[in-house]
Amino acid sequence: MINFEEELKKFHPSLEVEDAEDAIYNQDLTDMADLLVKMLKESEEKSNEVS
Amino acid sequence: MFCYNCGCHLSEHDFCTACGADVSLYKKILRVSNLFYNEGLEKAGVRDLSGAITSLRQSLKFNKNNIDARNLLGLLYFETGEVVAALSEWVISKNLRPEKNIADDYINRLQSNASRLESINQTIKKYNQALVYCMQDSKDLAVIQLKKVLSLNPRFIRAHQLLALLYMDSEEWERAERELKKCVDIDRNNTQTLRYLREVELMLAPDEAVKQPARKKKDEAVRYQSDNEVIIQPLNMKEPKRSGASTLVNLGLGILIGLAATYFLLVPSAASNARNEAQETITQISNESDAKTITIQELEAEVEKLTRETEGLNQQLDGYVGEDGTLAVIDSLLDTAASYLETQDVGAAAASLESLAQSVDIEEASQSFQDLYHMLLTTIGPEVSKTYYDEGSSAFQANDFAAAIESFSRAVYYDAANINAQFYLARAYDRNGDTKEAIAAYGKVIELFPGTTSARSAKQYQDALQAQQ
Repeated sequence: MINFEEELKKFHPSLEVEDAEDAIYNQDLTDMADLLVKMLKESEEKSNEVS
Repeated sequence: MFCYNCGCHLSEHDFCTACGADVSLYKKILRVSNLFYNEGLEKAGVRDLSGAITSLRQSLKFNKNNIDARNLLGLLYFETGEVVAALSEWVISKNLRPEKNIADDYINRLQSNASRLESINQTIKKYNQALVYCMQDSKDLAVIQLKKVLSLNPRFIRAHQLLALLYMDSEEWERAERELKKCVDIDRNNTQTLRYLREVELMLAPDEAVKQPARKKKDEAVRYQSDNEVIIQPLNMKEPKRSGASTLVNLGLGILIGLAATYFLLVPSAASNARNEAQETITQISNESDAKTITIQELEAEVEKLTRETEGLNQQLDGYVGEDGTLAVIDSLLDTAASYLETQDVGAAAASLESLAQSVDIEEASQSFQDLYHMLLTTIGPEVSKTYYDEGSSAFQANDFAAAIESFSRAVYYDAANINAQFYLARAYDRNGDTKEAIAAYGKVIELFPGTTSARSAKQYQDALQAQQ
């Protein structure tokens, strides 16, 4: 049985056009490729330090 | 595919041919991203928009530069009515690849039609308002608002779902089902839609189960056993004909019902008509009464005005008729004239004229009155003047200059041409010490009787007095 109040909590206000700019700026664009490159660079720096 | 280290185009090798960086893992990540993109594309092809959105998001988590995935994600958002989310994805896509990007076209198409963009924004605002109404438990208002939203943007999945939820809450299962079917037409595999739909179908199913046995029952006949026989009586069988008595009873009932209907339907109508007529009569009488009241008020005002005029005229009449009235004064003047003509008594006439002059302002009286008054004065004037002159001379010789001034003044009043009276009036002033009046009186003698001995003497006296000053 569906509970109206509980279901209602799942609905959130939709972004208005005026808010689009903030939404774009605040979007986290970090991807797996970024993480990999970062990790590779860090490991490279560590190996350089050891040598 | 480009090297993350130097940006050169990658070959089939697991290292960059330009900088030598190991790109095996990097290539795998990009391949996973492409895999998710392909999956998303496939799902979008069969209108599993929710699934496609999930896959494309995954794809972008692996490779944010997957422009195709991002553009398609924007397109799917747009299809489900999430215009701002779509716009965001396309703007990011355009920033990542400014040239040869289909997102540019999408953005331009959206922005070129300002009214369409405004309409979309209004739709979103209305949806948010509907959500606020739901939170405030104003569900009717929310339903109205959501209907408006969907009339403007029929592909807004979340609005359809919220409307369906509201219908479900008010147990309008058919309507909820209709909304959810529309959701399914747009997005076939939306978990929330499917969950609601299952609930709605469950609620609708028992009704159908109840309806079917009812239909079966219709076909059935009533069976009962009488002794050893089983009697089957079909339900749709006509009732047997009734007896004459029952027909009469029914007829009587019908007549009674007819009468009752007449009483309850026609009598109130007749009463209402009578009431209306009475009301109209009252209104008419009231109007007439108002008109009469106005007439009475006008007449009262007229009476008041006439009363005021009468009072004014009475006052005017009193002015003519009273003891001090104009008519009495005229009578007095006429009496004086008549008496003088009869007796030639100058003294009595002079006394009457003096009395009149004291009681009435001669200058304000009528022209005829003034003419008669002045004629009498001229007639008796010289004689009266002479009398007063003689009195003044006696007083002057007795050095009673005040009495002399009084007598000479009267003599001058009755006859301005009495040169001696004028001269001795001036002398009396002079001797009495009234220098100012004396100078003026001498001046009058000089002015009225130039070239005479009196004028010359007056001039000498006047000069002497002015020299003294």
